[in-house]
Amino acid sequence: MTVAAELLAYVKARHPRSWRGVEEARALDTARFDAYAELLLGWAIRALGDGAIARTVDAFVHFTSDVNLAQGRYEADGRYESSSYREVYEAVYADRATMDDYLWGVYLTNFLWVHHLEISAFYEARFVARLPERARLVELAPGHGGWGLLALHRRPGATLAGFDISPSSIDIARSLARAAGLADRASYELRDALTLPAAGDADACICNFLVEHLETPARLFEVIAGALAPGGRAFVSGALTAAQVDHIHEFRRESELVLLAEQAGLRVLETLSVGPARTLPGARHLPRSMSLLLQRRTREHW
Amino acid sequence: MGRAMPALDELAPLFRQVFDDDELTVTRATTAADVEGWDSLTHVTLMLAIEKRFKIRFKSSQVASLKDVGELADLIDALTRS
Repeated sequence: MTVAAELLAYVKARHPRSWRGVEEARALDTARFDAYAELLLGWAIRALGDGAIARTVDAFVHFTSDVNLAQGRYEADGRYESSSYREVYEAVYADRATMDDYLWGVYLTNFLWVHHLEISAFYEARFVARLPERARLVELAPGHGGWGLLALHRRPGATLAGFDISPSSIDIARSLARAAGLADRASYELRDALTLPAAGDADACICNFLVEHLETPARLFEVIAGALAPGGRAFVSGALTAAQVDHIHEFRRESELVLLAEQAGLRVLETLSVGPARTLPGARHLPRSMSLLLQRRTREHW
Repeated sequence: MGRAMPALDELAPLFRQVFDDDELTVTRATTAADVEGWDSLTHVTLMLAIEKRFKIRFKSSQVASLKDVGELADLIDALTRS
């Protein structure tokens, strides 16, 4: 039985409420879905051992439930539940068990959520495929580490340095790197990504779904610009009108992220804004995930 | 089956409203597999309608792990007593 088949059988038997959404993602691009199941879930199976599918799928179901409930409360209240880093730090980032579950759940959204499967395809085709063979990558807030490891997997000469404030993130990213056979090219450091010095020597930077967790999102784009060599590229994703227990900065329009990037000296090469196939009945907000392909400008006027 | 729960009778109208089915009946053994359209999104819609009706607030971990209507009724009972 393939990993994809095992995954689908487990979801159908144990989590029937999640079946429809997973089916929709696979229907969008069956070949890509199955390939990510083999690759990404395959790494998780090697990292976690027996019971990995149950462990990660249960975490995905809990994470998705958290997101949907937060979105429902956001629809009712008109604002995100928390607005400061301090509010969510103790409840989420500092809680080891919560973070472990959260990160494994998020890891599977890269192909189990239909709109994130679209982002994964965009990431591979427009960012990873254009990386220099021996690219020096920086990943800010890698979380589970899957985005950067996918780039290393596709680019055998590339190296990556990742920085995250969460000990769970560092442990999980390192365990996946070992499972993927990429540990010799991926290093992870427990560090607030916003404190990274402006070394200006990275060929590319990856930063997915950090910006909406920050009180000062403009600072993140400054750090990205500072990390990149002139002409270096970045792949950045963020959430818009999409509630989650630890989302504190409510972006409402795509142009807000574009403007932050431009103000930091980054040229916006391409963008992709995607939403889920279905939303809560009567929803006023369309929760979106937006990805930006950016380039550090090389002259005064871009 | 478990003990009779006052919540169960009061849950049925909410199920009919959320799933837009006037004929829908629920028992403690009813699961998502028995109700057409009971997916992760309608589940949250149902939970929010229940919160409003019973003046309770679920934790997200409680919402995700419910296996059947019996567990839901038990949870409502526990939350309304606390």
